[in-house]
Amino acid sequence: MQGKLVWSTALAAVLAAAPALGANSVAGKTVKVGVIADTSGAAGAYGSAQKNAYALAADDIKAGLLDAGGATIVFDVQDAASDPAQVVNLTQKFATDGSALLVGPTLSAEAKKADPIAVRAGLTILATSNTAEGITAMGPCVFRNSLAEAQVVPEAVAAAVAKWKPKTAAIIYGDDNQFTKTDYDIFQAALQKAHVELVDVETYHTGDVDFKAQLTKIAAKRPDVLVVGSLVEEAAKIVTQAKQVGLNAHVIGGNGLNSPKFMELAGGAAEGVVIGAAYFIGNSSPGNRAFVERYTKRFGAGPDQFAAQSYAAAQIVAHAVKEGATTSDALCAAFKRATSVPTVLGPVGFEASRDVRAPSAILEVMHGAFTAFK
Amino acid sequence: MTAFLAAHSKLIDQIGINALLALSLSVSLQAGQLALAQAAFMGIAGYVGAIGAVQRGWPLWESMLAGALASALAAAVLALPIGRLRGVFLAIATVGFGEIARTVENNLPITGGAEGLSGIPDDASTPWIYGTLIAVGCVIAAASRSKFALAVAATREDEGAARGVGIDTARVRFCTLTFGGLVAGLAGVLYAHANFFIAPGDFGFGRMEQILVACVIGGVTSSLGALVGATLMTVLPEFIRFLADFRDVTSGAILLGIVLFAPRGIAGLWKRGGRA
Amino acid sequence: MILQQILNGIVLGAVYALFALGYTLVFGVLDILNLAHAAIFTAAAFTALALAARGMPLPLAFAAAVALAGFAGILLDRVAFAPLRARNAGTLAPLISSIGAGIVIVGILRGVFGPDEHRFALGTAGDAQLHAGPLTFGVIDLVVVVTALVFMLALSYVMRATPLGRNIRAVADDRIAASLLGVDLERTIALTFFIASALGGAAGILIGLQYNSVSVEMGSRIELKGLAVIVLGGMGSITGAVVGAFILGAVETLSVAFISSSYRDAVAFGVMFAILVLRPRGLFGKRALRTA
Repeated sequence: MQGKLVWSTALAAVLAAAPALGANSVAGKTVKVGVIADTSGAAGAYGSAQKNAYALAADDIKAGLLDAGGATIVFDVQDAASDPAQVVNLTQKFATDGSALLVGPTLSAEAKKADPIAVRAGLTILATSNTAEGITAMGPCVFRNSLAEAQVVPEAVAAAVAKWKPKTAAIIYGDDNQFTKTDYDIFQAALQKAHVELVDVETYHTGDVDFKAQLTKIAAKRPDVLVVGSLVEEAAKIVTQAKQVGLNAHVIGGNGLNSPKFMELAGGAAEGVVIGAAYFIGNSSPGNRAFVERYTKRFGAGPDQFAAQSYAAAQIVAHAVKEGATTSDALCAAFKRATSVPTVLGPVGFEASRDVRAPSAILEVMHGAFTAFK
Repeated sequence: MTAFLAAHSKLIDQIGINALLALSLSVSLQAGQLALAQAAFMGIAGYVGAIGAVQRGWPLWESMLAGALASALAAAVLALPIGRLRGVFLAIATVGFGEIARTVENNLPITGGAEGLSGIPDDASTPWIYGTLIAVGCVIAAASRSKFALAVAATREDEGAARGVGIDTARVRFCTLTFGGLVAGLAGVLYAHANFFIAPGDFGFGRMEQILVACVIGGVTSSLGALVGATLMTVLPEFIRFLADFRDVTSGAILLGIVLFAPRGIAGLWKRGGRA
Repeated sequence: MILQQILNGIVLGAVYALFALGYTLVFGVLDILNLAHAAIFTAAAFTALALAARGMPLPLAFAAAVALAGFAGILLDRVAFAPLRARNAGTLAPLISSIGAGIVIVGILRGVFGPDEHRFALGTAGDAQLHAGPLTFGVIDLVVVVTALVFMLALSYVMRATPLGRNIRAVADDRIAASLLGVDLERTIALTFFIASALGGAAGILIGLQYNSVSVEMGSRIELKGLAVIVLGGMGSITGAVVGAFILGAVETLSVAFISSSYRDAVAFGVMFAILVLRPRGLFGKRALRTA
């Protein structure tokens, strides 16, 4: 009788301690995360920012600044050189080398070729910079923490229209890039909804440096607003040259402009530009200020949206690992459960569609820095 | 071994497709034609086949048939206006054709434009790819024993003299270009069916450069050389992956080294003892 | 607006002309399509950028970078082309060799400067816009147009009226005969590369200033257009390169203005294609070409 009591007490004690033991059970474990980023080639600038963020995250985990429950997370960052064939081969490598998670690739077009391979192998995917339609639909464990244009642009347009009260607008966008082409579709719909008349639409090709022809044509129509559907390099030239041809319209753009490089490259021409974005560098989420400081100190320039979304992905992964997830299936389940993980983007969760639920921001460039648009 | 194959099945498929592309260019190069439209033919066929597969549920063989016919037709049509062009002029005109094709692909609604074409069924299995490669290889090998092969070589070495002895060099140029277009088309459809998704950027000048480099590295006058070159170029980025940031400098240096030490290509090193 | 668009086309044409001059020179003299020209173009821009960032006044940085580009061209020839010349390797091998050399140069630049886009410090080129009636253009645009014309005239003069020019033309016409007549082949070729690469380097710096943009990708963007220009203009013809460049600039700009910006490249290459069909040697091309 006494023996049974001792046994039951001991058993109860063990059972009570079990959850605590379980939570510590990742200590000492290693989780390998395969990261595909284009650090060279056409998308080299974006992938490099991503790589920087993972390097920072890995060190932050070691230093205890990012809590992964005592586990080590290895970010195996591989360069795909903006070549879809290499993305495919890297995906296959990560699908067969014991990686628990695939993060990336940088471009949606690459993801569409490579994600099905990972899905077939049961590897969970977390995309940090794919904004095209249909990414998360590729598999039951394909997640995305990057807000698409469709999620940030309509609000930005509504706010800008309320403040500027424009009658007419023109759009210039890149017609050979999925991201910038989507910009056009979404801005056009948002402007229509706001009853702003679209007086001209012009296109350019990725890598163009001269936009005078298109901007001269637009300037002749005198729009109140110029929409720039573009990534940062072209956007900087577009706003500079717009001023040069005498096009003095309000300027609004999407996620692609959300980089300190925009002000660096465009100088004064960037003033007053409004951006619908997924990240505000000056936001007050816990840890963001410190992240910006550490990133700037280490890499010589502030983090752009690519870097922020990558670091946030690292935070999401660390959070899931801390909850005990060290395998691909467990990570998938952990992501599905995530409702409000604190990240530099703000609190992040995933919808049932596995797309991200995160705050969006409307920014304005004032005195050479991003500020919240009012 | 099977684990290695399973972990690298995509790479193996890529080698097969790139080898087909290199063969398609090699045929033109052997006739002395620097006709750089292979990437464009690949794209035309790829889109025709993929659209058929996605919208009408075509099985792979039907895609390949339709795609290859489309690209062969495009090649035949292209052959007419470029008939008088030679050397680098021919090269740039054909590259220009490629840019035009890419622009059209980018703007037609049916291709999906810049957003690309998704949902292509994944039915280009390794046997299909290598089966096609072997079949094309056999055709080329058979043709190389024929009188046509002599006409091709004569056209390459000295077109004026060839015409002088009665060879219809215009027909040689037409046939090699069209055949090249057909083979590039087969490769294009296989590419689409092996990658789930295609976009116009897959078929631009960058792709054309890759195919050209593969052919020259392997040996311009040799079909076997094209295969060797394609294999090497496909596998190289993965082999030197451990070099991380030094990868592109290394691959440029390797390219430079191969050309400097084997200007007639790797096949040229082999055959140094003289041709049969 | 149409006048302004024509002006835009002229400025764009000048940009292409600057790039094409060095290209066509090497092409004309050696039958080589030097695809590393774009890499030297980029390297010069970065060199000038780095020197200016360290406080060197712009004209000095420009001169230094251009000279460096010239020497880089000589080095390029020694490493990538001269060995192939010695072996009579045809025209395809040097093409691939230049691709390899270009990859190496750009790779080194990327390693040193990173893949991001840079710009000359604000205010280096001056943003001043000039007005002439209804037309607007920048000071730097004027500099680019004038420079392109000056370079074309200077190069034509050198080719026509100097001993060096005569030697270069002799080598271009018939290499063997030239050397039999006592022309120092290797020295002439080296000087050709120096001039061509210096021109390309100057183009890179000016274009980097004009568009406030210096990046490792800047060469590949302009390379294809440069090829179209020299082929359109005719092999080795300096006038052809410049005329071809202005035609391309005009066609691109006007097709944006009056057709559609989406079809701009198709129209530009289509026009080039059509001209080649009518004149298979380009507008000003005279000589028959050695085939591959």
